[in-house]
Amino acid sequence: MTCTILVVDDDPAISEMIGIVLASEGFEAAFCQDGEHAIEVFNEVGPDLVLLDLMLPGKDGIEVCRDIRRLADTPVVMLTARSDTIDVVRGLEAGADDYMVKPFKPQELVARVRARLRRQDHDASERLHIGDLVIDVAGHRVMRGNEQIQLTPLEFDLMVALARKPWQVFSREALLEQVWGYRHQADTRLVNVHVQRLRAKVERDPEHPEVVVTVRGVGYRAGAATS
Amino acid sequence: MPRPPERRAVVARLGSLARRARLAWGSSLRLRVLAVTTLVGIIALMLVSVTLSDRVRDTLYDQRVDEALADAASRTSLIQTQLDNTTAGTPAQMQTVAAEIIKANQSPGSGAVGTLLRRSPSEAAGIPIDFTVGSSVELSPELREAVQTNTVQQWQPIAVTTTSGSGPGIVVGAQVQIPDVGPYELYFVYSLVPEQATLRLIQQTLVVAGLALLGLLAAMAFYLARQVLGPVQRAAHAAERIAAGRLDERMSVAGRDELATLGRSFNEMASSLQDQFERLSGLSKVQQRFVSDVSHELRTPLTTIRMASEMIFDARGAFDPGTRRSAELLHTQVDRFESLLADLLEISRFDAGAAVLDVEHLDVRVIVRRAVDLAAPLAERMGTTLVHTEPDEACRADVDPRRVERILRNLLANAVEHADGKPIDIVVSADERAVGVSVIDHGLGMTQRQTEQVFDRFWRGDPSRARTIGGTGLGLAISSEDARLHGGLLEAWGRPGVGATFRLTLPRRAGVVITDPPGQLERAHEDVEPEPVRHGPSPAELPDLEEL
Repeated sequence: MTCTILVVDDDPAISEMIGIVLASEGFEAAFCQDGEHAIEVFNEVGPDLVLLDLMLPGKDGIEVCRDIRRLADTPVVMLTARSDTIDVVRGLEAGADDYMVKPFKPQELVARVRARLRRQDHDASERLHIGDLVIDVAGHRVMRGNEQIQLTPLEFDLMVALARKPWQVFSREALLEQVWGYRHQADTRLVNVHVQRLRAKVERDPEHPEVVVTVRGVGYRAGAATS
Repeated sequence: MPRPPERRAVVARLGSLARRARLAWGSSLRLRVLAVTTLVGIIALMLVSVTLSDRVRDTLYDQRVDEALADAASRTSLIQTQLDNTTAGTPAQMQTVAAEIIKANQSPGSGAVGTLLRRSPSEAAGIPIDFTVGSSVELSPELREAVQTNTVQQWQPIAVTTTSGSGPGIVVGAQVQIPDVGPYELYFVYSLVPEQATLRLIQQTLVVAGLALLGLLAAMAFYLARQVLGPVQRAAHAAERIAAGRLDERMSVAGRDELATLGRSFNEMASSLQDQFERLSGLSKVQQRFVSDVSHELRTPLTTIRMASEMIFDARGAFDPGTRRSAELLHTQVDRFESLLADLLEISRFDAGAAVLDVEHLDVRVIVRRAVDLAAPLAERMGTTLVHTEPDEACRADVDPRRVERILRNLLANAVEHADGKPIDIVVSADERAVGVSVIDHGLGMTQRQTEQVFDRFWRGDPSRARTIGGTGLGLAISSEDARLHGGLLEAWGRPGVGATFRLTLPRRAGVVITDPPGQLERAHEDVEPEPVRHGPSPAELPDLEEL
């Protein structure tokens, strides 16, 4: 099955180049040049992943990302020329799963795309407990009692990674490697922002987290199972 | 001769007091104004008082003397007349009569407190009829002689003792002729005690008035100083705040006097300063913005170029040799271009003050180990080895690991490039304030001059020497900025032929001032063994910031 990737960037040269790289790796690419029509094209194409430039004419990448999140859990990787601005954090908070700073290598692009498309192989019968939640790994569902909590695939993977080893404290670097597929040092803001987003969805009181617990100076671990 | 201890203590105390006074004198204009005004007031008042009381005394005295002389003259002539008219025949009778006449003339109210009749010693004959009425005084021989030899009145100041007390006085003498007996000396004694009392009262009044005036003067000086110095002080405060960067600070101005003018001028100056500053900072912001924008705008096409070159490079096997080499050159130069752009961007971030420290309390040894491990393949390729020494205890400090790693990467790459194949020492050391990392090579070394320039942007140690590893020429400049951002230091030392040392010092906690960096920087001679590593205390004993 070929995966379709939507490239939203206003620079036609880079869009085309990304298309060539993706095609050489066996992906199918769709393109959109501005923010206004991004959602239109998104609905039309139904991509498996979106590469989204942060600075777009019309509607900026952050808004587009928010709109996509409203519609679907499709992985979004932002492309940005600035790694130091607040825009990266805003983009992640808007729902992007990952980001890449220009200029990047084609191998890097492909690796990130593959990492986001890769489904973690989950044991069919596996059920995990974390805090007062139950994770149905095969069914890709997180339940609090009878109520299902909607998570993006990345958030789900993050939960599963923590819940599988409740005795272990994960450093941000370890989570980056396990969940995002990074081999080398990367931006730990990714983890921070996603933990925040995850907490907003799964914690009863995000101010006093019980599901994803911070271990000061080290990282995060799963909260003790209560059910 | 040694001073006794208590004296020394007193001297020391006086010394400190004097120092404090000098300090207060030097630092307070108000105190000076007050002191000078009071001092000048005291001198002026003293001069006025002394002159005034002198004049009053002289006038009082002269007046009293004139009065006394006139009084004495009229009495003398009266007594002479009465004596001339007497009918007494014998000297004994004469004595009685004279005594009576004199007693009769000793009336109160005339101011005379005593009358003395003395026989002239030249008249050997006759009976002595010396006698005294009222207060007696000791007559000086000079006065008596003057009276005896002159027919006119003679007088002399004298101390008088009366029933009401003693005080200054004068005695006036003249000759009288007692019929049948001969010349006698008649003296009248006048007291100046009332005049002295008057003088004392005037002097007391003067002193009281002077003190009151002095107090008033001091109060006025104080008030004036405050009135004038208050605005000056406010101006000073406002200037301080402006200097501290609060450019919108202004003085409040009321009225149209000189001080209001000061305030207005000050405010005008501040406004023009603010305008100037804002214009300049606006300009520099535009400039920095431009550099940053250019760098960012370059990134999108660079990404395309990069991907394209990567594709071409991957397919180079299918090309003829010339095209293949071109593909390889394109590939490496795109890499180089990219790192240049990244460094340029980083520098522009420092220049714009946009660089932020993302600190964590970490063991610096771990970061050093990682950097050494990463640099090891490069060192091996260049035929050198990295010798790594570290303390046994953790060297924890508040650091931004990304930046520290970048500094170490730059230092190690630089050392490897200049080590000339000789081993490179990496020494971690720590004390209670800071953690130091020295990167010591034994290669070509540098001159004193070069160590000063080595952190300059795009500076090249030896333009004739080809760069083997590459690098953008911004690495050490960025490292230096990174160290500064931590509140730390990056220093270089070198001697031609001996080698070079770069020492990075990072404060344990933000805000700690590094006075004596741990770790080695300078080397006396090449054959001297490296200084043993100084071991810091364990992190458990790390003092709080307040204690440092």
